[in-house]
Amino acid sequence: MTSPPPDETLTRRIPTDWKGQAMQRRIAARYRAERRFRLIGLASILLSAGFLAFLLVSMLGNGLSGFTRTEIAVKFDFPRAPMVVDPAMLEGGNADQVLAGANLPVVTAQAANAALGEGGDALISSNAWLTVRDAIRDDPSILQREAVLSLPASADIDLAAKSQGTAQAEAAYARLKQGGHVSRAINMPFLTASDATDPTQVGIWGAFKGSLLTMLVTLLLSFPVGVLAALYLEEYAPRNRWTDMIEVSINNLAAVPSIIFGLLGLAVFLNMMHLPRSAPLVGGLTMALMTMPVIVIAGRNAIKAVPPSIRDAALGIGASPVQVVFHHVLPLALPGIMTGTIIGMARALGETAPLLMIGMRAFIASPPGGVTDPATVLPVQIFLWSDEISKGFVEKTSAAIIVLLLFLLGMNSIAIYLRNKFEKRW
Amino acid sequence: MTEQTTSSAPPKMAARHVNVFYGDKQAIRDVSIEIDNDHVIAFIGPSGCGKSTFLRTLNRMNDTVAGARVEGDITLDGENIYDPSMDVVQLRARVGMVFQKPNPFPKSIYDNIAYGPRIHGLANSKADLDVIVESALRRAGLWDEVKDRLKDSGTALSGGQQQRLCIGRAIAVEPEVILMDEPCSALDPIATAKIEELIHELRGRYAIAIVTHNMQQAARVSQRTAFFHLGTLVEYGVTSEIFTNPREDRTKDYITGRYG
Repeated sequence: MTSPPPDETLTRRIPTDWKGQAMQRRIAARYRAERRFRLIGLASILLSAGFLAFLLVSMLGNGLSGFTRTEIAVKFDFPRAPMVVDPAMLEGGNADQVLAGANLPVVTAQAANAALGEGGDALISSNAWLTVRDAIRDDPSILQREAVLSLPASADIDLAAKSQGTAQAEAAYARLKQGGHVSRAINMPFLTASDATDPTQVGIWGAFKGSLLTMLVTLLLSFPVGVLAALYLEEYAPRNRWTDMIEVSINNLAAVPSIIFGLLGLAVFLNMMHLPRSAPLVGGLTMALMTMPVIVIAGRNAIKAVPPSIRDAALGIGASPVQVVFHHVLPLALPGIMTGTIIGMARALGETAPLLMIGMRAFIASPPGGVTDPATVLPVQIFLWSDEISKGFVEKTSAAIIVLLLFLLGMNSIAIYLRNKFEKRW
Repeated sequence: MTEQTTSSAPPKMAARHVNVFYGDKQAIRDVSIEIDNDHVIAFIGPSGCGKSTFLRTLNRMNDTVAGARVEGDITLDGENIYDPSMDVVQLRARVGMVFQKPNPFPKSIYDNIAYGPRIHGLANSKADLDVIVESALRRAGLWDEVKDRLKDSGTALSGGQQQRLCIGRAIAVEPEVILMDEPCSALDPIATAKIEELIHELRGRYAIAIVTHNMQQAARVSQRTAFFHLGTLVEYGVTSEIFTNPREDRTKDYITGRYG
């Protein structure tokens, strides 16, 4: 009171009118802004949910029929068929070989003609004899009698059954249906076979296994290297121009288009190191290059988030720096590191371009036995099938997408389960 | 308490003409001090006076700070702790530390205590370790409160219990010196009283140095007091004398609350 006010404007200030009109307007505007923001947020959520729903509905609508196939019942009279098979030879492991030389395609075609009328052999799949072979192998006693086997229909008939065929095929299908020959069944070979030229014969297992092996190589390489790099950069590396440059480079690497990694893989792994072409090993190595920066960045952030007090505590009772890192920092950072790894791996799983460069788009009709066998992966298989002319591949493409999405879902579920488990450990 | 200062044996820890720099800035100027088993020494002084910095040079925790540099001699049992031959990991086991904020590991109570003995190989068997854990928790005055829930997380304890757990964790490795950096500043008066009681009980067995902002606490728990101001050691002596009859005006101003 005794000292004069430092500034005259302070004393001349009009008292704030908290109840005045201007203030009321301001409050109303604030509430409007709040509501607007919430509505925009809600709208964007709904929009993304809508896109997701559209994707899922169209995929399921197109693809679910890919998991079923049309079968035609054909009666076989094996004792009179033009084939000679010694049942004793079917014991043991080489039944397939014995039956392969037993004239089964002709037997099957004749049986189809007999059962379905002239031209019946065109209605069943050209590989239907494989089904006959499997039936004989599983139960050799049917050679002594008559048997009715359900054979896969040809691609045309299968499409007609799914109301997508040509007029001619539709007519043939209608006749078959009248005769009570056709049925729908789960297309088990789709889950157990590999690529083929006939859409009724294709399977996803080869690509699935290729993806599995590729992801395994990627994970085994990029996870330890990425985590160790992140740990070194955060815990040991001095802060100077070099580490700054490394940091910028890593951030850039994470944003490099994947096709460039493919070219790199082609040049380094195939041309220089002469690793086998089209192999999951090379695919995994290339993907690991792509995934590693993502893991390093996520890992560094997770490590940075570990409270320094924990490091102090461990150092304070005489833990060595390595013990601090592996006993305390890493376990606490692991959930965050795993989140980054999930993101990186999910991206790698869906990646096509780099794998095209290293030859994983080849036509491969048998599943890979190991990481050095030729293979393809799910997204490349989808790409290949979507390119096919035959109409039967449309539903197979969608079915393969469903398998890919399920693979992704499974992979993420495992990772999230592991992450939660580590978080709950303490 | 007893205040026989004249012991002929060499002190447990001694600092002679210590200077500490952070980059170009000098944080500690020419500080000489002794720490021994028979007394608790309290470092007091206003914020930023360098008392925590000095405490952290005593077990080389400042090594982790980029740009920190120490000049002068600090000896533990006559050995210079900044000598290249000194193993810093072992030094930190011998000179334990309790921090301002309770910082138990996010592990079970048992594992918090057992961690130090485990990494230093102090226990040969599970039974050995059980004994070490129990005795450390007893000495930390926590055993009766947690003996039935050793598997519970250390972070689930109350603040005061957490701090006692941290003290138990420090003494489980049988250090020779315990440094406490404002161990009670985050605790309520009851928890503070328990920690102070604990410091009394630990005296004699360990050489203890404690940084505190609380004058009454310094008067209660310590037998020696060192008053720091702007990086220099202004006054250092028997606690009762410093509090009743300080030689320096700055000390008198500070302990009477004139500044700080």
